[in-house]
Amino acid sequence: MTVVIGFEGSANKIGIGIIKDGEVLSNPRRTYITPPGQGFMPSDTARHHRAVILTVLKEALEQAGLKPADIDCVAYTKGPGIGAPLVSVAPVARTVAQLWGKPLLGVNHCIGHIEMGRLITQGNNPTVLYVSGRNTQGGLVIAYSERRYRIFGETIDIAVGNCLDRFARVIKISNDPSPGYNIEQMAKKGTQYVELPYTVKGMDVSFSGILSHIEEASHKMLNSGQCAAEDLCFSLQETVFSMLVEITERAMAHCGSQEVLIVGGVGCNMRLQEMMGVMCKERGAKLFATDERFCIDNGAMIAQAGWEMFRAGQVTELEDSWITQRYRTDEVEVTWRD
Amino acid sequence: SASSPLTGSASSYPETSFSKKHNKHDGGDRRRKKPRNGPTGALSVYVPFPSPREAAIALRSLSPDREPRKGGISKHLALTGSTLSVRWRADEARILRVSVTSFLDHLALVMETMEMFGPPVAL
Repeated sequence: MTVVIGFEGSANKIGIGIIKDGEVLSNPRRTYITPPGQGFMPSDTARHHRAVILTVLKEALEQAGLKPADIDCVAYTKGPGIGAPLVSVAPVARTVAQLWGKPLLGVNHCIGHIEMGRLITQGNNPTVLYVSGRNTQGGLVIAYSERRYRIFGETIDIAVGNCLDRFARVIKISNDPSPGYNIEQMAKKGTQYVELPYTVKGMDVSFSGILSHIEEASHKMLNSGQCAAEDLCFSLQETVFSMLVEITERAMAHCGSQEVLIVGGVGCNMRLQEMMGVMCKERGAKLFATDERFCIDNGAMIAQAGWEMFRAGQVTELEDSWITQRYRTDEVEVTWRD
Repeated sequence: SASSPLTGSASSYPETSFSKKHNKHDGGDRRRKKPRNGPTGALSVYVPFPSPREAAIALRSLSPDREPRKGGISKHLALTGSTLSVRWRADEARILRVSVTSFLDHLALVMETMEMFGPPVAL
């Protein structure tokens, strides 16, 4: 029996979760939400996390019905992410690991998503689409091969979630519960399709050009009444999701894969799941996705990746436990899989 | 006392190392040059803990992460018995202030954590 506690706070969500041999015992989380039109700034986000982290930690232990002595390992997000919040969460993980006399494990955030996706959906060896707001990592097509999560395609500039979030700021919609969720609801009411640039570059995608285009177009078109904000939300989703489906399909063809797993915050989007589902059906492939408990950043996913790493014999020494804003998924040696 | 080129009259403020460095008004290169005499900001903070072990826990929780700023600041943590000492050297007061404030926020969080979940288990 192995029990791992995981700390996640690399963006605006702070979550702490506990996993025991594939069972999620607790997974409390808090989100730092800013007013419409504003993104979350690093130091404000860090301040939010510092204010609530110990409360969330107590909740995690209480909801799991565990004492610190029951924990075998303390996992935390080493990166990638935003520096200030990362650096506000890691010291708490380090402190409790030392207080409780437990080994520490630094986890790659993206791998946390993948391992939780694998646990929940029990996919055999899916092509993974990681979609989030996380810059440099928020539009990644990954396939496992020989001890690495290899990156087959990625965004060459901003994350797809970042593109959606920044457009949400332009049209000043609420960030509660998340800008992406509100874009999705508005998109459902869209009635016309507005042509936007479509930028797939081989195996990769680019979103910053689409963002600049739609920012400019929205000012012109909304002011002149040519279209409604709902139409722009609809068009943006259709465009960026089609691009992601295309590069996922390309990776599947390359790997001969018959399964797709969508992870990351944008993976909550039902339209993306629907479009990916259509492509999968055409290929006779299976689609796996998780719900908002696990799509959105959470502590249990870090605990799950930590569980795999710990059982494979990995440990992070305190001196090596520094956080890093950049941390590619393919840098990690996946020793827990063949 | 220093003379202000704007008013042409003598300034009533005493000339300090700060004003000497920043009020040159030489009309030439306005970019701030690195001071030739070394860092202009230094601070030492001493934090007492109930035991050497707890001071060591705090040090090992706070030392792994690098300063976000690449240059112009250095920070050194050390242990003396039950006291954690932190020593900063910085090129500018502003850089020093940012680093110290951030460190104190994280130190407070570590100490709160130790209070809530301590004392450390027997080794």
